[in-house]
Amino acid sequence: MEFKSCIHGENIVKKYKNFELNIPSVDIPRGFATALIGENGAGKSTLLDILAGIRLDYKGNLRFFDKFNDRDRETNPEVKNRIGYEGTGNYYLPSWTIRQGRDIQSLLFDSFDEAKYRDICKKLDVPDDDNKKIAELSDGNNMKLKLAGVFARKTDVLLLDEPASPLDPLMRDKLCEMIREYLLLDEGNKSVLFSTHNIADMEAVTDYAIIVENGTVVESGFTEELKEKYIIVKGEKKDEEAAAKVLYTISSNNYGFEGMALSENISGLSGLDVVTETPTLSQICVAVMKHNSKLYTGSIL
Amino acid sequence: MIISQSSGVPIYQQIADSFRTDILEGRLKEGEYLPSIRGLAKELKISVITTMKAYELLEAEGMVTAEQGKGYSVNAQDKEMLKEQHLRKVEDGLLQAIASARIAGMSEKELVETLQMLLSLKEN
Repeated sequence: MEFKSCIHGENIVKKYKNFELNIPSVDIPRGFATALIGENGAGKSTLLDILAGIRLDYKGNLRFFDKFNDRDRETNPEVKNRIGYEGTGNYYLPSWTIRQGRDIQSLLFDSFDEAKYRDICKKLDVPDDDNKKIAELSDGNNMKLKLAGVFARKTDVLLLDEPASPLDPLMRDKLCEMIREYLLLDEGNKSVLFSTHNIADMEAVTDYAIIVENGTVVESGFTEELKEKYIIVKGEKKDEEAAAKVLYTISSNNYGFEGMALSENISGLSGLDVVTETPTLSQICVAVMKHNSKLYTGSIL
Repeated sequence: MIISQSSGVPIYQQIADSFRTDILEGRLKEGEYLPSIRGLAKELKISVITTMKAYELLEAEGMVTAEQGKGYSVNAQDKEMLKEQHLRKVEDGLLQAIASARIAGMSEKELVETLQMLLSLKEN
């Protein structure tokens, strides 16, 4: 499906001692929620930091809102104001109080809407105590505070690093609702990119998925398209060997096998006694990660 | 609109089915707009792309027309068009039957006889 890019990146390279992020091309579609998925250490946070401008020691070309490059992002406040970022680290210094955190955001961002921030905090049931130290908050409440900060600004794209991780199931559901509401604010012009390990919890708000492994993008696409591209195949032990030649990933047990195939290869299974199913996004992600992972595939213990 | 997560019918299909019924039974009239894509996604707690796929399906069926910047409006549903749509379904079904018959090595005569037999079974 064709789409407009909210952020387009080309030849993004960041070298570390034992790891290299190297992405020839990546697009964050405009008007949608995009999930950034991958193993720990795959490069998700590095990519988010580069897009947000938290990290500037990279090579490559970035294009924001079809108009601006990453130099503009650093020099033109209009661009930076349109980008909201939430990171996993201590965005608020632990020694700050809730009041100080609020005051500092008010100073930092032109479009920070204090009333809205207070309203979001209240609705998310963040402790209503201005003198409470941020270090004393639970991980969940700390994340709520960060989310309130980013949602209380007038932005056109949100870059959220693992927003669901510290949240309980109810609050994850709430986060999905907030993302949908945000996308609705200006139909087709607001975009969200979030990294997550909790694919199943976030699936109902994921329009586009980017899967990162070993520092590069190994798969990307609209979820509805990915669900047509891949197909789950289950079969009996007798057909395992023949099926293994066609399948993208396969795991076997004593009674049979289960795996993922590319739909375009499904004709290679004709004649075999197999059952096929449409995969969920989680299942697709696991298969793609497994295909590209260095993890041992057999029993561990 | 009731959306089931476990019915086995894809969610986009369920949404399209629901609007199609509303249109064919006259609850959604010509010129009326479907809810905005992101508005419906929010109401139904589903992703934007799923809603979009449902609307694109309805558009492909000729039920609605996408209007730039305005959304999807309901098309006139005249009887001719409905007939046309069902005709297309019949053709699709028959084409599939022909393809399967070929795989099974059925002759043209056998295929026609099978159809006739099924027709007579249906009538009784």
